[in-house]
Amino acid sequence: MPDFTFSRRSLLKTTAALLASTALPSAVFAAEAKAGGRLVVAADSEPKNLNPAIVASNGVFFISSKVVEPLAEASYEGENGLAPRLATSWEGSADGLSVTFKLREGVTWHDGKPFTSADVAFSALNVWKPLQNLGRVVFKDLEAVETPDDHTAVFKFSKPTPFQLIRNALPPLTSVVPKHVFENGKIEENPANTALVGTGPYKFAEHKSGEYYRLEKNPSYWAKDRPYLDEIIYRVLPDRASAAGALEAEEIHLAAFSAVPLADLDRISKEPGIVVISKGYEALTYQLVVEINHRRKELADLRVRQAIAHAIDKDFVVKTVFLGYAAASTGPVPKNDKQFYTADVEQYPFDKAKAEALLDEAGYRKGSDGKRFSLKLLPAPYFNETKQFGDYLRQALAAVGIDAELVNNDAAAHMKAVYTDHAFDIAVGPPVYRGDPQISTTILVQGGIPDGVPFSNQGGYDSKKLDDIIAKASEEIDEAKRTELYKEFQKEVAAELPLINVAEWGFITVARDSVKNVSNNPRWAVSNWADTWVDA
Amino acid sequence: MTMFRHFLRTPEGRAGGLILALIALAALAAPVLFPGDPLAIAAQPMLHPFQNAAVPLGTDRLGRDVLAELAHGTRTSLLVGLAAAGAAVLVGAAVGTAAGFAGGIVDEALMRLTEAFQTVPAFLLALAFVSVIGPSLATVIVAIALSAWTQPARIARAEVLSIRERDYVAAARAIGMHPAEIALREVLPNALPPVLTLASVIVANAILIEAALSFLGLGDPNRVTWGGMIAEGRVVLRAAPWLSVIPGIALVLTVLGVYLAGEGAVEAMARRRGAP
Repeated sequence: MPDFTFSRRSLLKTTAALLASTALPSAVFAAEAKAGGRLVVAADSEPKNLNPAIVASNGVFFISSKVVEPLAEASYEGENGLAPRLATSWEGSADGLSVTFKLREGVTWHDGKPFTSADVAFSALNVWKPLQNLGRVVFKDLEAVETPDDHTAVFKFSKPTPFQLIRNALPPLTSVVPKHVFENGKIEENPANTALVGTGPYKFAEHKSGEYYRLEKNPSYWAKDRPYLDEIIYRVLPDRASAAGALEAEEIHLAAFSAVPLADLDRISKEPGIVVISKGYEALTYQLVVEINHRRKELADLRVRQAIAHAIDKDFVVKTVFLGYAAASTGPVPKNDKQFYTADVEQYPFDKAKAEALLDEAGYRKGSDGKRFSLKLLPAPYFNETKQFGDYLRQALAAVGIDAELVNNDAAAHMKAVYTDHAFDIAVGPPVYRGDPQISTTILVQGGIPDGVPFSNQGGYDSKKLDDIIAKASEEIDEAKRTELYKEFQKEVAAELPLINVAEWGFITVARDSVKNVSNNPRWAVSNWADTWVDA
Repeated sequence: MTMFRHFLRTPEGRAGGLILALIALAALAAPVLFPGDPLAIAAQPMLHPFQNAAVPLGTDRLGRDVLAELAHGTRTSLLVGLAAAGAAVLVGAAVGTAAGFAGGIVDEALMRLTEAFQTVPAFLLALAFVSVIGPSLATVIVAIALSAWTQPARIARAEVLSIRERDYVAAARAIGMHPAEIALREVLPNALPPVLTLASVIVANAILIEAALSFLGLGDPNRVTWGGMIAEGRVVLRAAPWLSVIPGIALVLTVLGVYLAGEGAVEAMARRRGAP
C-alpha cells in the first residue's frame, strides 16, 4: 500500500513522533484492549446531509463512517489495499460487465432488521448511481444488481467497467443504507439522512446543533467483542485555534484533519501525553492545484501556463505554507499512489528567468509599470493553506511581472464564482485524490462538463487528445493497459498544463496518548473505529 | 489658530495630537521607507522581532516584513477611517439639515429612515453589505459610512431646529433669500461644529469596524490591514504571539489617539466659547 512521501526534514519529525507514539503502546499492545469508556473528538463542521451514500465527502464520513459501513475499507495489509466490511469477497468478470459480491451474513441494521443483498441493490441503483456526487461517475453504466440470494449481489454494467476502478472505489463510494428505511418517499428528504441508520459499530444517538454529536455502542455489531468504546462524542469546535487548547486541557482526546494548526504542531508535540501522527490519511490525499481559466487569451497560451509553473517555488510552498507536512507535486496523480503514479513527466523547476523568457516569447512584455497583464486570483477559502498559498502565488506572479488581484469569497460564493459563473482567471483549489484517477481526478481536466459541477473542469479547457485518453482508460478492463493509459494521462496533463499541480498533503492527527489503535488504516479518520479504545 | 492653541493647551489634545501626528507620519512615510509591495516576501519566515536588523519587527508565516506591513496598514486604517467619517458627516449633515429645515412630512420621512438605519447594529449592517457586494476598499468605506451617518444626521437636525428660529435666519427670509440658500449658507455652517466633534468618534469606530471586517476575512485582500494581520497571526497565536500583538497595539494606539484628539477638540471649543 502507498506510504506517504514527505520531505526529509518532516520525515524525520514524523518518524520521531511515530516512534514516540509506538514506544509506549508496544507494552500496552501485549495487554488486553480495554472495553468501555468515552472518546471525545473535535469536529469542525456540521454537514446538512450526513448520509455518506449521498454525500461522499470527508466531512460527512468523519462522523457517519462509524454508523454506516461500506462494502470494503482501505487497509495497509489487505490484498489490493482492501479489508472486507459488509462484503466478504468481490470478483470481477473477465468481460468487465459484472462484479459479484459475497455479503456478510448475520448482520443486522440498528433497528433490528436483517441486512441483505436487497439493501445493496437498493443503495447502488437508487442512491449511489443517481444521487451520489462520486457514484454518478463510477456507477454511470451500472444497469442492474441481481440478487440470486440474500447474501450475493451481482452488479451488471451496460459497458465494460474496469474492476480495478470498482475495487478502488469501494471504501469511499459504497456506504450501504437500509432499503426499508429509504424506499418510501423522496430519498433526499428522508429524516434518516441526518438521524442515520446503519450496520456500523456505533449507533447514531443525538445531535445538538452547535454543540455535539453523540454516537453510542452498537451491542449487536457483527464483529465479536467490537466496538470497545461505549460512546463517541464529536465536540463541535469550529474555531481551529481552540482544538489545541482543548487537547491540552484534556477536554477532547483527539483532533483529526489537521484541526490543530500546522504551526502549533511543533509546540504541542513536546507536551507530555500528546502525540502528533501523520499516518492514516494515505487514501485521502489532498492536492493543491492552480485552476486556470482558459477563456482568458493570455492563459490559453501554453507558454504563459508554463511560465506560471516555473514561477512557483514548490519547495518554498511545502516548507513555509505546509511547514514540511506535504510533498511537492509533479502531476495530477500523487506520489503516494504506487498503482498509477509516474515521475516520468514534464517538470517545471522554479526558474524566474525562464518564466520571464517564456512570457516575453508569448508576446507579453513588461509595461512601463513592470507589469505584463493582470489576473483575478481566487483562493479557495476551505483551508488556511489554500488561502496562504493564494497570498504566496500573488507574490510569485508579481516577481515575474504578472499582476494578480486577490478576490476573497466565502465558501458558497467561491463555489459559485469558480464552478458556475467562471468569474476567475486563476483559482487555488484543493481537490481530493481518491485512489483511482477516474473517481475524482480526470473530471478536473476533462472537456464538456456542464456548468455548476463542483470540483470539475470549469476552466474551459477542452482537448480532444486528453479526452480520448480519459475515455479509453475508463473502458479499459485490462489492469496493466489501464494503468499505462493513466501514465499517459499524467504525461499529457503535465505537458499541456490544463491546471498546475503544486503540492499534495495528508492531514495530521493530534491525540492524547491514552487513545489506542489510532491511524491503523489509510482512511483511519473516516473509517469505523471499531477497534479504537481508550486507556483510561 | 486660537482654536488650535486651545486644543494644544488641553492634556488630551497634546497626547492625542502627538499620537496622531506620529501615525500620520508613518502613513505618509510608508511608501518611502518601505517601497514596493509590503506583502512581498522579504526574508526567512517567522523571524522574531529584534532578531534581524533588516526586518526589525520580524516576519510572518510567509516571510513578509511585519514593520513594512504595519506602516502600510496605517495607511489603510487612516484612509478608511477618514473617508468613512467624511462620507458619514457629509451625508448626515445634509440629511439632518434638510429634515430640520424643511420640517413637516420631509422631516418625518427622513427621521424615520434614520431610525430604521439606527435599529440595525452598525457592525452587522457593514458585515451584510460587504458580504453581498464583495470585499474591496471602496465597499468597506461605503459599508461603514452606511451605518455611521445616522448620528450626525440627528445632531445636525437638532441644531438646525434651534438655529432656524434665530433672528438672523428670520432676517434672511425677510430679505427674500431662497430657502435652499438659507439652509446651505446660513444654517448649515452654524450647525456643523457639534457635528464635527462627533467625527472623532466616527473615525475611531470606523477604524475598529474596518479591522473587525478584515479580521473576518472581509477586508480588501490586496492591501495590508491591521485586522487582517491580527487574523493571520491568530493561527499561530501560541507559537508567534507577536504577529497578533504588534498590529493590536497599533490599533489601540490609533483609536486612543483619535479619541483623545476628539476630547481635546471638544474641550478647546468649550474654552473658546467660555473665555473668548
